Amino acid sequence: MKGKTVVFYLLTILMVASLIFGAACSTTTPTIATTAGAPSGEQTITLNLGTENNTIDPNRASWVSERTVIVQCFDGLLAFDNNLNLVPMVAKEIPTVANKGISADGLTYTIKLKNNVTWSDDTKVTAKDFAFSIKRLFDPSLAAEYESFYSNIVGGDAYYASADKTAAEQTALKDAIGVKALDDNTLEIKLTAALPTFLDLLALWPVYPIRQDMVDAHGENWAQPDVNGAMPYYIGNGPFIIKEWVQNDHYTLVPNPNYWGVKPILTKIVFKEIQDANTALAAYENNELDQSGVPGGTESATMADPNLKPQILRYPTLTTYGLRFNMTTAPFDNALVRQAISCAIDRQSYIDKVRGGVGQVALSWIPPGMPDYDASLGQDWAFNPTKAQQLLTQAGYPGGKGLPTIKFQYANTGTNPVLAAFLQDQMKTNLGVTITLEPYDSKALSALVNNKQYSWAIYGWGADYPDPDNWLPQLFMTGAGNNKQNYSNAQFDTLATAALKELDNTKRLKDWADAQKLLVADCPMVFLFYRQTFVLQKPWVKNMVTTGMDGTPGDTFLRNVYIIK
Amino acid sequence: MLRFIIRRVLWLLLVLFVVLLITFILMHLVPGGPWDREKALAPKVIAALNQRYGLDKPLWQQFLNYIGGVLHGDLGVSYSQSDRTIVSLLAHGLPKTLTLGILAFVFAQAIGIPFGVAAALKQNSAIDYASVLFATLFASIPGFVLGILLMIVFSVTLHWLPTSGWGSIQQVIMPVFCLAALPAAQTARITRASTLDVMRQDYVRTARSKGILESNIRVRHIFRNSLIPVITIAGPMLADLVTGSFIIENLFAIPGVGRMFVQGIFARDYTLIMGGILFYAFTIAFLNLVVDILYGAIDPRIRYE
Repeated sequence: MKGKTVVFYLLTILMVASLIFGAACSTTTPTIATTAGAPSGEQTITLNLGTENNTIDPNRASWVSERTVIVQCFDGLLAFDNNLNLVPMVAKEIPTVANKGISADGLTYTIKLKNNVTWSDDTKVTAKDFAFSIKRLFDPSLAAEYESFYSNIVGGDAYYASADKTAAEQTALKDAIGVKALDDNTLEIKLTAALPTFLDLLALWPVYPIRQDMVDAHGENWAQPDVNGAMPYYIGNGPFIIKEWVQNDHYTLVPNPNYWGVKPILTKIVFKEIQDANTALAAYENNELDQSGVPGGTESATMADPNLKPQILRYPTLTTYGLRFNMTTAPFDNALVRQAISCAIDRQSYIDKVRGGVGQVALSWIPPGMPDYDASLGQDWAFNPTKAQQLLTQAGYPGGKGLPTIKFQYANTGTNPVLAAFLQDQMKTNLGVTITLEPYDSKALSALVNNKQYSWAIYGWGADYPDPDNWLPQLFMTGAGNNKQNYSNAQFDTLATAALKELDNTKRLKDWADAQKLLVADCPMVFLFYRQTFVLQKPWVKNMVTTGMDGTPGDTFLRNVYIIK
Repeated sequence: MLRFIIRRVLWLLLVLFVVLLITFILMHLVPGGPWDREKALAPKVIAALNQRYGLDKPLWQQFLNYIGGVLHGDLGVSYSQSDRTIVSLLAHGLPKTLTLGILAFVFAQAIGIPFGVAAALKQNSAIDYASVLFATLFASIPGFVLGILLMIVFSVTLHWLPTSGWGSIQQVIMPVFCLAALPAAQTARITRASTLDVMRQDYVRTARSKGILESNIRVRHIFRNSLIPVITIAGPMLADLVTGSFIIENLFAIPGVGRMFVQGIFARDYTLIMGGILFYAFTIAFLNLVVDILYGAIDPRIRYE
């Protein structure tokens, strides 16, 4: 631990030094414009993706940085606007029961497409392109990671699980999938069970349209660069096309000359792949990047810097962090112990001291900005050391006496070691309990948690789509895939089961709200904080609109961004 | 000599096989696999991924398949790098890492040897102290700290050099300097020590007593002999530099093999790990062989007949 602390301080000193040096040479940086004007100067933006993508094939992609590139090149049937409301994109309108887009039983979706949507090679986007893509999502050889989101589509799972079957059997299963193009402009999707959030799923990247001729001719290489980095087969229907993908280095995107919608103003987007946070910040200060994060722990210093302060771009993201308990291991099988711990942790102090004030105290799971966020929830287990000690006494461990050793597990990355040290201190100060810290490599921690061999671990969950349906059932229903807390509450399960198929939206959201109340009362985690994104952005970047689901800040609406230099 | 080389090459093959076997076992013993995520994947997705990459087969079969592939020059495909073949990833990353490594090696020797010799010949002079000071300084500053300092000075403050990336000469300067700092310091120190040692040898005194020109003594008797320890460390040093530094490549966002292989370990990208280990083991064993052959050329006492 000591060596890590020294390194941490050293980095902090270096960062502060860089901020001072940066400030000292800031005369060349233009001041932030107070009023927006017409675009001027080179319309180029350079952003940092921070990592090498495994794939930008929409069917296969699963990471935020993959989505960042894909959303520039494709438009789906539906999309989310900047307030995260659904809007039609390639679809003519949002299907509803009233416009006969959804059958009364909620099992059949008939989606009308716009007539003027084109691919980047100026051919027409048809319902067949969507049907092909959705069927391909279930291709067993592709092993698409988001397949499980679309399990309700008729025949999908059967095809996905057919790897051991003959080619003829696989073809039959593929043909049996309940997706078909009724004509060029009409797509029909049949579900095995009603899914009230299915429209949200139609706005996500795994079901963006894909060109069958490219896949037939080039297989999975359609989404791969050639030796020179060019991507001639990566034909999309979005505002940008990829000019080059130099792997492990950068992407260059240029406007799609045949874009069917409002043409973007930017003439070039460069996505770099700088992983080191210190390097990214130095690159930003050297004008190699137009946007950059700051190293964890330096947020306060950044805000205190008069030069950098006006360049801060900060907004809440749909991500919640919690400290999940393994509820079948002692002492966490005792609700009073869990509640005592929840009351013993000063979340505001954590946000202020460790995260530079960036973030919002969480007392429940669903974050602000999503339906069913309830600010009044969780007050019972908010920070209150006196109550914490009382609860621990009630649990039978007065002053922590007789309490089994509590171990806290975390991935030894970013500011997690500081969080761990903070928790250790809070537990000692507020409960008189000494906890053991167990740092892990990220994959090892995931394995430990996924195999339910952990006891108490840090956990974060980000939105795939803005609905409680993406936040509660997977994590808290008995036996659900991500319910590593071993949480089980029959009442919660009943409400969740009903809500998952409830087509009346008001009733559905009420069910989820009630379910969350039960959850918060049971305290299966210490809800810790709602994340905020905190980055620096050059003053010449204009009209950058962010949403709580962005990967790279602003990536959803880069089509609207322009430069005034 | 030829028999020596053949014998060593056969040993090398055996070493590589054992290294691969140990790596394979360790890799599967380490907790966490390629599909372990914070957001756990559904079991059916994990099954599909395992099937796609042949990880559903028994471990012994996976190993035999891998060795069979290696014998045919096929190192498999990466699970975390777009399904690209390990061979193409090496072909993509190696030129960058080699450029950095060889430049850094040449730079380290070009700085380290003259400074070391000069320091020894003028022991306790200003140049000796300066050389020791710089050697100690560069040996004790970690590469990433030096890298960040260089960036703050030359990119952020002076705007002379780009911070990171690959493609121009300017982008090579800082990483090469960071990579070369420690080896240059080590080379200077070991050259100084070994030159001082050689200068006190009987055969140097004998040469002087025979009245041989001082410049001849320095070149033929002192310099040549003082290089033996330098060459001994040069082999592993070169191997270390050309196999890439994760820290420096990551800091300067250079798409080299050092960064790629370490990321492969974090991602539990099994084929990438195996390919990386194979490459490292081969490079180190090969360069050690080259050093052993060079000994013979430099030191007449060492012969392999």
